[in-house]
Amino acid sequence: MKENLIRAVLLFTVLAAGLGVSAQSGSQLRFCIRADPKTLNPLLVDDEPSETVRYLTGGVLLRLNRSTQQLEPELATAWRVSRDGRSISFTLRQNVWFSDGTPFSAGDVAFTMERLMDPSLHSPTGDSFRSGEGKVITKVTGKDQITIVFPKPIAGLDTLFDQVAIMSARSPRKEMAVLGPYYLADYKAGSYLLFNRNPNYWKHDSAGRQLPYIDSVRIDIEPNRDIELLRFMRGEIDFINSLDAEDYDRLAAQAPHTAVDAEVSLDAEQMWFNEVPESPLPAYKKAWFASADFRQAISESIHRQDLARVVFRGHAQPAVSWISPANKFWFDAGLAPQTFDRKAALQTLARDGFHLQNGTLRDRDGHAVEFSVITNAGNEYRERMAAMIQQDLADIGIRLNVVTLDFPSLIARITRTFDYEACLLGFVNNDLDPDSQMSVWLSSGENHAWNPAQKVPATAWEARIDALMRTQALTLDRNRRKQAVDQVQEIVRQQEPMIYLVNQDAMAAVSARLRNVHVVVLRPQVYWNIDQLAIGNRGAR
Amino acid sequence: MLIVLVLGGFLGATLVRLAPGYGIDEEELDTRLSEQSVQALRQSHATEENLPRFYFGYLSKLLHGDLGVSQSLHRPVRQLLAERFPETLKSVGLGLALAWLAGLSLAIASVMSRLWIIDLATGLLASILLCVPAAVLALLFVIAQAPGRLVIGLIVFPKIFYYARNLLAASASLPHVVTARAKGLGGWRVLLWHILPVAGPQLLALAGVSISLAFAAAIPVEVLCDIPGIGQLAWQAALGRDLGLLVILTMLVTLVTLVANSGAELVAQPLRSGDA
Repeated sequence: MKENLIRAVLLFTVLAAGLGVSAQSGSQLRFCIRADPKTLNPLLVDDEPSETVRYLTGGVLLRLNRSTQQLEPELATAWRVSRDGRSISFTLRQNVWFSDGTPFSAGDVAFTMERLMDPSLHSPTGDSFRSGEGKVITKVTGKDQITIVFPKPIAGLDTLFDQVAIMSARSPRKEMAVLGPYYLADYKAGSYLLFNRNPNYWKHDSAGRQLPYIDSVRIDIEPNRDIELLRFMRGEIDFINSLDAEDYDRLAAQAPHTAVDAEVSLDAEQMWFNEVPESPLPAYKKAWFASADFRQAISESIHRQDLARVVFRGHAQPAVSWISPANKFWFDAGLAPQTFDRKAALQTLARDGFHLQNGTLRDRDGHAVEFSVITNAGNEYRERMAAMIQQDLADIGIRLNVVTLDFPSLIARITRTFDYEACLLGFVNNDLDPDSQMSVWLSSGENHAWNPAQKVPATAWEARIDALMRTQALTLDRNRRKQAVDQVQEIVRQQEPMIYLVNQDAMAAVSARLRNVHVVVLRPQVYWNIDQLAIGNRGAR
Repeated sequence: MLIVLVLGGFLGATLVRLAPGYGIDEEELDTRLSEQSVQALRQSHATEENLPRFYFGYLSKLLHGDLGVSQSLHRPVRQLLAERFPETLKSVGLGLALAWLAGLSLAIASVMSRLWIIDLATGLLASILLCVPAAVLALLFVIAQAPGRLVIGLIVFPKIFYYARNLLAASASLPHVVTARAKGLGGWRVLLWHILPVAGPQLLALAGVSISLAFAAAIPVEVLCDIPGIGQLAWQAALGRDLGLLVILTMLVTLVTLVANSGAELVAQPLRSGDA
């Protein structure tokens, strides 16, 4: 009797294990990206589809945990940044092989860094490491020891390695030999990418089982968001990494358990005025836009709560700073949110000699206040935001004209011809460290949107921002850097060269059959822990 | 034919080159890029500023079999065409087969039956399909999970139907056909011996035109139905302002149109001579 019972328990266990295995074996994860990856070279990644490929295939020394926002060891088991912030030493994991069986060593790290820092490559990832003139030196001090020395100190140096996928120095397969959880098995341009499980992936779960759990990943190239949603609802794909507010609400109404709102993201929507002295605008308009009071008044008269509530259906919150509250460490929590106050706006404008005349706001010289805002055509949210801002400004006697342009034309105006008055745009933020925003905040930066590439700072407050940004870039103490960045946030809040409007939520759709999913606000929101994801009917998310 | 081909490509290149915002990459706004990298990105389009120089340099490469590399997809154009052209040929072939089968059959039924109800029903069907935009038809097929390639057939069908019906009706009203009918000749014999031979040359010309129509229809259909063919490639190239790729695609479509029309003309010529 006892024997039979043990046999039955054993049989049940084997069957259950078998079922578990069968749920995993041959499992395939499916999702969509909007376009073909522009490159399969991990060093040249600059677009989201290519970033997806790099994230699935690339093995990195350190990985930023998208949930805790802390760095974690991957191919490096330990690391140390030097006191002067110019060098970083890694101790590498041993007994690791690339997907094609080539062994991984410090020589591969040196090879990758040398390729990455080649000035003729113009790698965006490599440019993040470029703090000054000079050569990057790699010192291999052992099979598993390497030190990389940079010509100048780099703020947040270790975090930058999250983006550096290590390439093999010896493999004939070049960038196709990878250290990440998957390798690219098939690619049909315009149609799909197929990734198979890397048989040599080094990571194991707590039970000693080799990761990743899912055997293959198929990514379909689907530019149409509606079709992507339709396919998700039919169960043809397992998740949608980034959902807009309208689709989120549609999905939440039909299948509430699949729609996930991970709260406010890193991305911000903002508006700025053209302050380029050489722009082809009339002098009186240049004077308006250069006035901090004018910008402040415009900011005060925009009802951000309404933008979040109406345009983003409540899936956004009024923006306070150029750093989103989702950026846990760097956001200045002490900043007061901009209040919507028409009366205060008119009083601020009066300080500059603006006055209302028959419902029209006029400047000191009698010019009616009227300007246009450009935004990219086809972005419904921006078009709706512009329409609402138009209404808000009409209430204080300002006439706003909304002009939508295709993206290249818009870029031509804001970077080359400067033939625009105001611009409404959103910047995608992938990096937590504010050092990645140097080209936006330094007055000499190409992305200093309101008045780019200045030879000397045009205003005292821009000079102050320059000094603070340089200080944070040269300081290694994280808390002292934070103090400098907080001051920049406060100056930007007072001067409003960029009028921050809203921070949209990070939203996703996730199938119930996907397990171990924890949607976060950092990209890639759903599959940041791709090697831990599993497919099966058992277990809850 | 070669002159038309070169002219077609040149016009395509000119239109794209003169579009506002040409030669500008979104990557310029990447905050990580250094000033040198931004400048390098801008310089990468400098060679295309002089359109005639770009175009003739491009043509000389083309004559050596080098189709260049797509700027937006970062892959050799030759490889992209080799992967995608068979897909479009499949879509266009299937669509044309469907369009001709349905269009010609219904046109014959309408003309030969001489029943107002059939004439009305077929005309109504063709009118509805003519009115519905290609993109809407494609979306309906996506929702219904039907094969997207068939949409090309539905787009081309009404045009074939109307032209074919008018041609057949005109042939059927010729005096010798009316006389044949009056003498009691069977419907099929009248059609095969008296109507189709007269309408044949024009129907062949229509066949040439229908190939161009099908290729044009392939663009929205492939984009919406997610078919990785030439149409989808053309759309992506246009959105990415990929001048090199667009020129090749323009020339390819021009070539297909010319070959189709010339082929139809070549076949129709002896028929016309025979009639005379």
